Amino acid sequence: MIFQANLIEELLAVLGYWDRLFSGFLLTMWMYGWALLLGFILGLFLAILRVYGGTIFSGVATGYIEIMRGTPLVAQLFFIFFLPNTLNIPSEMWVIETSFSIFNKEISLKLLDYPIFVGILTLSLNSGAYQAEYLRGSIVSVGAGQLEAAQSLGMSRLSSIRHVVLPQALRRVIPAWSNEAAYLPKYTVLVYFIGGVEELFFQADFIQHKTFFPLTTYIIVSIMFLITITSISKLLEFIHKRTAIPGL
Amino acid sequence: MDEPLLRIVDVWKSYEDLQVLKGVSFELAERDVKVIFGPSGSGKSTLLRCINMLNPPDSGEIYLRGDNITAPNVDLNAIRTRIGMVFQHFNLFAHLKAIDNVSIGLRRVKGLEKQEARRKALEALNRVRLAEWADHYPAQLSGGQQQRVGIARALAMEPDVILFDEPTSALDPELIGEVLQAMLDIAKAGTTMVVVTHEMGFARAVASEMIFLDDGVVIERGTPEHFSVSPKSKRVKRFLNQLDVLYGSHEKLLKLSEEEEGK
Repeated sequence: MIFQANLIEELLAVLGYWDRLFSGFLLTMWMYGWALLLGFILGLFLAILRVYGGTIFSGVATGYIEIMRGTPLVAQLFFIFFLPNTLNIPSEMWVIETSFSIFNKEISLKLLDYPIFVGILTLSLNSGAYQAEYLRGSIVSVGAGQLEAAQSLGMSRLSSIRHVVLPQALRRVIPAWSNEAAYLPKYTVLVYFIGGVEELFFQADFIQHKTFFPLTTYIIVSIMFLITITSISKLLEFIHKRTAIPGL
Repeated sequence: MDEPLLRIVDVWKSYEDLQVLKGVSFELAERDVKVIFGPSGSGKSTLLRCINMLNPPDSGEIYLRGDNITAPNVDLNAIRTRIGMVFQHFNLFAHLKAIDNVSIGLRRVKGLEKQEARRKALEALNRVRLAEWADHYPAQLSGGQQQRVGIARALAMEPDVILFDEPTSALDPELIGEVLQAMLDIAKAGTTMVVVTHEMGFARAVASEMIFLDDGVVIERGTPEHFSVSPKSKRVKRFLNQLDVLYGSHEKLLKLSEEEEGK
């Protein structure tokens, strides 16, 4: 018997805290969304530098990518979290909060404060390094011939990259990139370690202490992740099919 | 004397240790069609890539209507709008329809309005007889059609000269004809062309001069008649004979294989 009480009883007890699960989930997704987006912009920038940047810029981008991929994310989170303190820089952050009610429950959600900022920033810096590698691969796969053909028409290098290479590279990157899109919600969980961020695992911890049903709590949280990540994969698969180049 | 349209003066080019071009010079007048041929690795493609500065030469000068395009501080993008390029492997933009492949340069480089660019692109597609395929993507076209789109893409920019880098050598035999026909059409319409090819029929039909390149130097030059009647150097004779064996009557090929077996 792995459950302490009746399974239904446990489920009902944990789901009684649905408002906490919901707000935790929203905050996790909020940080994930920003990290994925900012990481994408950074990754695209790094990938272009690596492929087209020449020795110096390409070296700098490579160094950055290797450092971010070669060190633990938790270490990066702590590093950035404690950095302002160490340098005697005040770390007050504008706090953004929102609240709304749903099914007669008041849900208040903190969208930004110092730990959340550190979480989003670190995840973006880290994810950018991984996304850069996926993007670099797809940019290289487009081939030098496309860039040459564009340049032979008199298009500048930048314009050729923008109008010829990237439209193809961004289509091609989707299947590989969906790995990162699927990993990142799970990496977002690590923000829990810096403390004070009321994301999904913070709430799960709260609920299991209240109910004494840790197994059920974490099963429910895992199912939430499973559904979310499967949906993200399916969505990207759909986008990949929709944007496919006819005939290819 | 008038300045020639294109003047190549003593062009040298190496890739690392490999000296590919060893002092190539030639001139091209308005409406000329120059055919460059020679064995693989002789530097033909490198020469074309030097002319539109995709691989700038190590030394030597190239003048386009009197402008030294190898000088430092030259705006290469502006120069390249005046030099069209048709690639061996077509290099069509895979994500764009035929019409957009042809109009992208008009829009992004010449800054034409969408409608005007489309009109000009259709005109260019029409010249290679592909107007009705305008809305197809490259992957939906045959190799011959893709290469004709490539020609239209270069034509639409109305360049001073178009460079053809072995335009038919990646094609199945039955698709070569339509591409050569398109090239003949535009040559006869007065397009100045430099063509790297082994299609001797094409050369005989339109070439004003042929240049035989081997090991980075010009071995021999002359009219198509000169090469078909009285080529001078042994190297050229041997090469032409090989072409004749490959593209000529099958008896010659049979004879060659019998000789091989006899050895």
